[in-house]
Amino acid sequence: MAKKEAAPAPLTPAVLHILLALSTGERHGYGIMKQVEADSQGKVKMGPGTLYGSIGRMMEAGLVRESDKRVDPEMDDGRRIYYELTGVGRAALGAELKRYRGVVAVAEGRLAYGY
Amino acid sequence: MATDVAVQRYREWYLLLLRQYPQPFHDRFGEGMAQTFHDLCRERRDAGRGLFGLALWVFFETLAGIVRENTIHMTQMQKTVLRMALVALGLLMVPLIASRLAPGWNWPVGTFVFTYVLFFGTGMAYALIARKMGAWAYKAGVGLALVAGFVLGWATMVHMSETENPVNLVYFGVLAVGAIGAALARLEARRMAWAMYAMAAALAVAWVITQVLVSDTPAGPVWNVGVMHGGFVALFAAAGLLFRRASLAGLK
Repeated sequence: MAKKEAAPAPLTPAVLHILLALSTGERHGYGIMKQVEADSQGKVKMGPGTLYGSIGRMMEAGLVRESDKRVDPEMDDGRRIYYELTGVGRAALGAELKRYRGVVAVAEGRLAYGY
Repeated sequence: MATDVAVQRYREWYLLLLRQYPQPFHDRFGEGMAQTFHDLCRERRDAGRGLFGLALWVFFETLAGIVRENTIHMTQMQKTVLRMALVALGLLMVPLIASRLAPGWNWPVGTFVFTYVLFFGTGMAYALIARKMGAWAYKAGVGLALVAGFVLGWATMVHMSETENPVNLVYFGVLAVGAIGAALARLEARRMAWAMYAMAAALAVAWVITQVLVSDTPAGPVWNVGVMHGGFVALFAAAGLLFRRASLAGLK
């Protein structure tokens, strides 16, 4: 009998937001925080503790990786580490969005029947 | 309104707070976190706003992260200790079974305990040092250096118990060169390479002292002893080359 592939576990909100922030290109820590804030219309404010703790676990899981160390022309006070999505990270983001669409479809169906 | 002095002062306090993270986490992300905090402070300053509220929020948020990461670190450490205790026990089975099968091999209990402590200590040293860097060359260098050092130390103890010649203590000096070198290098790959080259050189000097100057020849011809020393020198030099490779990979 063929082994059934296990469904990926749902991502935490912090991980989802970081993946989303990096989906449009590589960013450094501050850049990710600002992008998360913009993506959520200011509803999610991520501090450095949550951000770097999540990045550490995402790197171990192979979702993101360090891309390069270089100077940001707008922030000229030091060399920064940039992070970027890996193929696994992009696939995880796609799978999570698919899962969200499924949940939304179920919820809309139920609401339409007045449950 | 925040000034440059205030930004600098808050940054210095934040650096102190970041030191409460587990060392591997701090080494990996400490600089980035400090820079991100600095960026946030600068954004506030440029907007003409005060820093106290931001600093309070970031400090509390980071404190929660410190508690979380230290908890994870301790759990991982417990797992590592348990894993190494089991690996050491597995390795101890080799002399334990051999002592039952080989005639004349009758170690006292104390020797088994001592051997177990050596296996466990070497394994823990590998687990703690190798995670300093993700590069395979670094991990291989640590493994090679520890295995070569373990075998050298073991062979020296056995040889000393047979000959009781104190001149062989110079071999423990070789191990001390490695330990002091690693401490001075703070386990940083490029400097670890030099520590390994120093060990290789110290071993060559030890060979000259024991075989040429004092002429303490163990069982077997001098040629065999020379080959054995040459083998260990090559192993330490190879470990040095692996560290060198790891340091170059880290620069890319």
